Amino acid sequence: MSEEKGNADSKKRIDRRDFLQGLAGIPVLGAFALAALKQESYRRTRKAQLASAAVPQGDAAEVNVALLGVGAQGDVLLNSMLKIPGLRFKAVCDVWTEYNLRRAANLLKKYGHEVNTYEDYREMLDKEKGLDAVVIATPDFWHAEHTVACLQAGLHVYCEKEMSNTLEGARRMVQAARDTGKLLQIGHQRRSNPRYIFTHDVLLRELNILGRVVTAGGQWNRSAAPDLGWPKKYEMPVDRLKKYGFDSMHQFCNWRWYKNLGGGPIVDLGSHQIDIFSWFLGANPKSVMASGGTDYYDKATHEWYDTVMAIYEYDTPRGTVRAHYKTQTTNGSLGYFEQFMGDQGTLVLSESSQIGALYREKTQAGPWDEWVRKGYLTEPKILESKAEDLTQGALDVRETISPDEHKIALQFFDPYHKPHLENYFNAVRGLEKLNCPAEIGYESAVAVLKVNEAVEAKQTLYFKPEEFLAQGAA
Amino acid sequence: MLYRRIAIVLVMVALLMGVMPVQGQDLKPIPIKLPKAMFVGTPQNINVPNLEKPLGKPREPFLAPAGVVNVALNKPVNSSDDAPIIGELEMVTDGDKEATDGSYVELGPFVQHVTIDLKAKHTIYAIVLWHFHKQPSAYNDVVVQACDDPAFKTNVQTIFNNDHDNSAKLGGGKDKNYIETAEGKLIDARGVQGRYVRCYSNGNSNNDLNHYIEVEVYGLPVK
Repeated sequence: MSEEKGNADSKKRIDRRDFLQGLAGIPVLGAFALAALKQESYRRTRKAQLASAAVPQGDAAEVNVALLGVGAQGDVLLNSMLKIPGLRFKAVCDVWTEYNLRRAANLLKKYGHEVNTYEDYREMLDKEKGLDAVVIATPDFWHAEHTVACLQAGLHVYCEKEMSNTLEGARRMVQAARDTGKLLQIGHQRRSNPRYIFTHDVLLRELNILGRVVTAGGQWNRSAAPDLGWPKKYEMPVDRLKKYGFDSMHQFCNWRWYKNLGGGPIVDLGSHQIDIFSWFLGANPKSVMASGGTDYYDKATHEWYDTVMAIYEYDTPRGTVRAHYKTQTTNGSLGYFEQFMGDQGTLVLSESSQIGALYREKTQAGPWDEWVRKGYLTEPKILESKAEDLTQGALDVRETISPDEHKIALQFFDPYHKPHLENYFNAVRGLEKLNCPAEIGYESAVAVLKVNEAVEAKQTLYFKPEEFLAQGAA
Repeated sequence: MLYRRIAIVLVMVALLMGVMPVQGQDLKPIPIKLPKAMFVGTPQNINVPNLEKPLGKPREPFLAPAGVVNVALNKPVNSSDDAPIIGELEMVTDGDKEATDGSYVELGPFVQHVTIDLKAKHTIYAIVLWHFHKQPSAYNDVVVQACDDPAFKTNVQTIFNNDHDNSAKLGGGKDKNYIETAEGKLIDARGVQGRYVRCYSNGNSNNDLNHYIEVEVYGLPVK
């Protein structure tokens, strides 16, 4: 697009924007319009969800569920599941019988579920014969063993991410799902988030609203926090800790920081967002370089890196995309989000409904008024009043023009994990396809686990395309 | 002369509002000891209307007459839920305000309350309430009352109420919703008098459950 044409377009767009601003200035009309836009947006998203499911209708029968691992993350999942109809909780297993297990059983009792409780998952699988599905939220290094055993016992499995702390373990999980024919959903819950699905299916794929995406980015900033403690009166005996792979209660409560048990913040936090890079770009990475270290916390108790910065390179069908990702655990400012930048616009998206906006590249992109009218986006918010000076003809076209900000009209206020769990249980009932089956979870694990390798190697590491295929599973 | 009149009017307004103690009393910051700040784990989707804006800085000291202390410390607690999911009711007044496992009592879903027996009638200047500050969350329908009747049937004084739609059926309130932090929620009790303090909630922005780490009641015995 020539500079001259770009300038002329700018004038036209300002007129259109003025019109939209005028509409927004009429409060009553604006309120009705917003309600209509939201309704239309919701309808489109549901339609998109149903279209992507494309599965035969089945019997929405009650699903008998067991929980394996009911610590902090298991508790989050349980509270989401309690809002999903048609689930009957039958059994709960957790090695911390004095606290986690007791708490989960008591909680379920409040909702009318009388469950059998177990310390050892093998005893649970031996004794519980009426189960349909299990939800696993144990530490990462247990995922492979737990998942494979449950699949082989004939259960469908929802397993928290990271799928495994090793690719060997993740491959065994994929193979077990293939061998048994049972479902294995990995807990990358953004894959079922209506805002993410709408953004991917409608804004990016259908409208190509960003144009040619050239860069992506993401971050998860978390405030410094003390190590997790535990109630002394409920401590586990040492022999039980050892039996399940932990040296101490401190290590049990803070396992995410330990090599051989978890993957550190880049895996706990970055995994969700690096998974979005691949999903939205439609490609797995071809290389990664990274820098990281335990710069703030005690290295003796924080074996994994508290700070990591990584740069990926993707070969997408439309060209190269470079993506940077940062996770730090010493300052929570600016929170967590993903960002995609194309020649037509920028997308900033987060699991938090408060964050989610598109910024139109005024000099390149055509007007987005139609997407506003259709309810995909809110009306534009002018970010910089100086932009009004454009109408005076004094603009130097070499300057960058502040983009207008459009919010994604679709709002989502359920618990974050609920849609992903609903998708899983609907798949168990034969009503939907999994949004994050084992193969997708495996691809994500390959991309994420390589970051820690790159930090250690201090050089760019390259992915072979076949690495993402879970070949060679035992 | 004019300044004197203005000063008298201001003092009278302050007295009527209950924010100024009896003339001549020495005011001191109440001695609140804060726990470690947290906010860890998987974030939750918070959608709460009428939400108070965060201060963005430490809270100002709250002034009360000299000698005011936490009179709830180690006092007995009962609850609408006598079989908590985890933890014990004694944790509400045990002085431990940390947001870690073992520091809180988790009550069942929907409307629940804890009631603290101060063992004698007290003049109450402030109540500081920690539900659960490990993750950002807002508790629904927070209602705080003082009373001399352990059954809370007669002469109930409501000190705080953010149940805007009266969903807890205790009478609607106009106080703001708020996000839990390590600072706790400081409620100006304006010198109400009572022996029992009751705190209601109706689940929170993350789930249906009700948590109490600590409730502090800053006051003086009524002589």
